[in-house]
Amino acid sequence: MNIPGRYFDGHSSAPLEATLEFDADGMVRVHGLPEPVAARVLEVEISDRIGNVARRISFPNGGVFETQDNDAIDAALDAVRDVVGLRHGSGLVHWLESRWQVALASVAGVVVITVAFLVWGVPAIANWAAGVMPASMDRAIGSGSLDVLDRVAFEDSNLPKARQRELKAMFTRMTSSLDDGHDYELELRDGGGLGANAFALPSGIVVMTDQLVELSKSDDELRAVLAHEVGHVRGRHALRHLLQAAGVTAIATALLGDVSSISGILSAAPALLDAKNSRDFETEADNFARQWLKDNHVAESNFDAILCRLSHEEGSDAGKKDFDFFSTHPATGKRASCKAAAEAQEPAGNPSEPTQPAQPAEPSNPTELSDPGEQQLPAEPEPAPIS
Amino acid sequence: MNESIALEGASGISASESRGASRVNLPFEFRGSGGEYFRIWIVNLLLTIVTLGIYSAWAKVRRLRYFYGNTYLDGHSFEFHGRPLAILKGRLIVFGAYLLFVFAAQINPLVVFILIPLALFGVPWIIMKSRLFQTRMSSYRNIRFNFHGTYGGALGVFVGWYLLVVITIGILYPAWVKKRVEYSLDNAAYGTQKWSFLTSTGRFYTFCLITFGLGIVAYAAFIFLVIGVAKGAQAAHGYGPAADIAALAGLGLGFWVMMLGFAAVALAIWGYYQASFLNASFGGVQIGGNYLRSNLEIAPLVWIYVTNLLGIVFTLGLFYPWAKVRQTRYQLENMAVDSDGNLSGFMADATPKTSALGEEAGDFFDVDFGL
Repeated sequence: MNIPGRYFDGHSSAPLEATLEFDADGMVRVHGLPEPVAARVLEVEISDRIGNVARRISFPNGGVFETQDNDAIDAALDAVRDVVGLRHGSGLVHWLESRWQVALASVAGVVVITVAFLVWGVPAIANWAAGVMPASMDRAIGSGSLDVLDRVAFEDSNLPKARQRELKAMFTRMTSSLDDGHDYELELRDGGGLGANAFALPSGIVVMTDQLVELSKSDDELRAVLAHEVGHVRGRHALRHLLQAAGVTAIATALLGDVSSISGILSAAPALLDAKNSRDFETEADNFARQWLKDNHVAESNFDAILCRLSHEEGSDAGKKDFDFFSTHPATGKRASCKAAAEAQEPAGNPSEPTQPAQPAEPSNPTELSDPGEQQLPAEPEPAPIS
Repeated sequence: MNESIALEGASGISASESRGASRVNLPFEFRGSGGEYFRIWIVNLLLTIVTLGIYSAWAKVRRLRYFYGNTYLDGHSFEFHGRPLAILKGRLIVFGAYLLFVFAAQINPLVVFILIPLALFGVPWIIMKSRLFQTRMSSYRNIRFNFHGTYGGALGVFVGWYLLVVITIGILYPAWVKKRVEYSLDNAAYGTQKWSFLTSTGRFYTFCLITFGLGIVAYAAFIFLVIGVAKGAQAAHGYGPAADIAALAGLGLGFWVMMLGFAAVALAIWGYYQASFLNASFGGVQIGGNYLRSNLEIAPLVWIYVTNLLGIVFTLGLFYPWAKVRQTRYQLENMAVDSDGNLSGFMADATPKTSALGEEAGDFFDVDFGL
C-alpha cells in the first residue's frame, strides 16, 4: 500500500511529492523521488500521533516524509509491527486523547485528586512540617499581635488586682507540667467590643477578657476554656495554619499558573478550605481540653456549660444560620450538648466529681441543632489565627 | 509573556532568496480545534498529576507539537522537536538547584545575597539559551530554525539597557522594548538565512507614548469623575461616614456602569498596546525576500481576552484549552508572509545538527520562565 505525502530531503526547503510504502520484509521506501530512499522500519523515527497533526517519518539520511494520512500509517505499522519487532503501546496516549469518555473521566479524576489532596494531603504535610520546625518559629509568628490588639481593641483589665493574680497563678499551675518549649502566660484584658472571649498567641500567651471571667460561674469553667486555648498552642495551630495556607496557594498557582490573572479570582476556594481547616483545629483543641479536664478530675460539663453560655450570648445578635462549611468554628451543637450541660450544672457544686456524664461529640438529641446554641463562639480577632 | 506566546506560535517563519518579480501574500493558518486540544490537555494533566509531575515533560512536548503541527504556512506545517527526557532532566536539575538553595538559605540566610549577582548575570544567559532551544527545536519543511544571539548581546540588552532605562527614569523604555524584541528576532535564522528586524525605534516610541498619554488621560478622567460624584453625593447627603455609605448606596446602578466603563477603557488601552506591540514586532521581520506581516486589531484582541478570562473563571479552568486555541488562531490568522513567491530555496544550516551540546543546554533551561 502506498501512502501519499511529501518528502523533504533536509538540505533544502523544497517539497517533493512522493509516496511511502511499508513492504513485507520490514523496509520503508519513499517512491517518486529522483533517487529512491529506503530504510529498515526500526531505523526510521515515526512521530507519535497527536490530534490531526501531520505524521513525520524521519530517515537516517536526514530526510523526512510527511503525510496527513495518520490512519494509513497506523494501519501499516500494525501490519508490520510483529514482523519487525516494533514496540507496542506508543499509540496509547493518542488513544486516550481521542475519546470524550476518557476526557470526562480525566476531568473527574483531576477534580477528585485535587480536592482530596487539598482536604487531607495539605494538612498532613503541614502537620509534619510543623513538627520539624523549632518552637522559636511559633514565637516569631505571634510576636506583635498582642501589641496590635492592645492598641486597637483592648483596654487594661478592670478586675481587682488580687483576682488577676489568682487567675494567673491558676494558669501557671495548669501549665507548669507542660514541657513543650512554649512560655505559657495568662494576660487579662478588658475585651471592649470583643466581649467575652479568649484566645491564644502561638508563643504561649493566652489572653482572656474580663467579660469572660464575669460570664463564668466557676473557676473550673475558666480552666476548661484555658485548656482549650493551651490545646491550640500545643497543637501549634498557628504555624500549621500558615503552612497550610502556603500549600494551598502553591497548588492553586501550579494548577492555574498559566492564567495568573485567574488565581486571584479563585482565591475564594482556598478561603473555604481555610475555614474547614480552622474548624478542625477547634475540634482538636476541644479534644485536648476535654482530655485535660478528665485527667485533672474536673467535670467536662464545665466546658459544655461555658461554651453554651458563650454561644447564647452571641446568638442573640445574629439570626444567621451558618452553613457548616463556611464557619471557622464547628457548630456549638456539635461541640457541646447544652441541654445536658444545663442539667449537669443543676446538682453541681461538686465539679470534681469524675463520674459526671461525659458529653458525646454529636448531640444525642436532634432538636439540639435548632437550638440557638448552634451558633459559633464569638468572632475572634483576626491577627491571632488561633482562638 | 507576550513575546513568548507569540514566539511559541510562530517562531518559524519562512522566506526565500530568489528575486521573483511577482509577490504573493501567504497567510498563516491554524488548524487546531478547542475540543481536540481539550482532550489532549485534560488527559495529559491527569497523567502529570498521577505521576507527581514527571509526565509534565511529555505533556509539554505533546502540547507544543500540537500547536506547531497545526500552524500552517503555504500548505506546510511547523514541527517541534524537543525531547521529553532532555526536558525532564533539565527540570530535575533546576528543581534540585532550587531545593539546594532553599536548604542553604535555611542554614545561612546570607545565601540569599548570592542571588543578586546570580540573577544579574544568569538571566541573560538563560534567555539566550532558551531562545536557542526554541528556535533549534523548531522546523518548517524539515529545515531547522536557528539563533545566533550571543551572551554578550543578551547581557547588553537585558542588563545594560535595563540600567540605562533606570538611570534615564524611563525615557529610554520604548527603545529598550525594541532592543529586547530585536535581540530575539534579529538574531534568528531559518536554515542559513538570517532574519532582519526592520521596525524603527520611532515606531516603538510612538505607540508607547500614545499608550502612556491615553493612560494619563483616562486616569485623570477617572479621578475627576470620582471626585465630582463624591462632591455631588456629599451635597445631597451631608458629611460623615454614614453619609458616605448612603451616598455610595445611592449611586447604585450608575456607579457600577461607571466602573464598567472604566474597565472597558482600561482594556481598550491595553488592547491598543498589545496589538501595536505585536504588529511592530512581528511585522518588522525580513527573511531574505520575504516579509512578515502582522495586522492584529484592538477590538477582537480585547474581546478574545475578556471572553477567555470569563470562560476560564466560570468553568474553573476547563475552558482553558478553547481559550488557548482561540487566542492562537486569532494571532496566527492575522499574520502573513509577503513572499517573493519562493519558499523552497532555503538551505539547512549545517551547525545546529552537530551541536548536540547546545541543544542539551537549551533543553536544560527551557523551564517556562515566561520571558
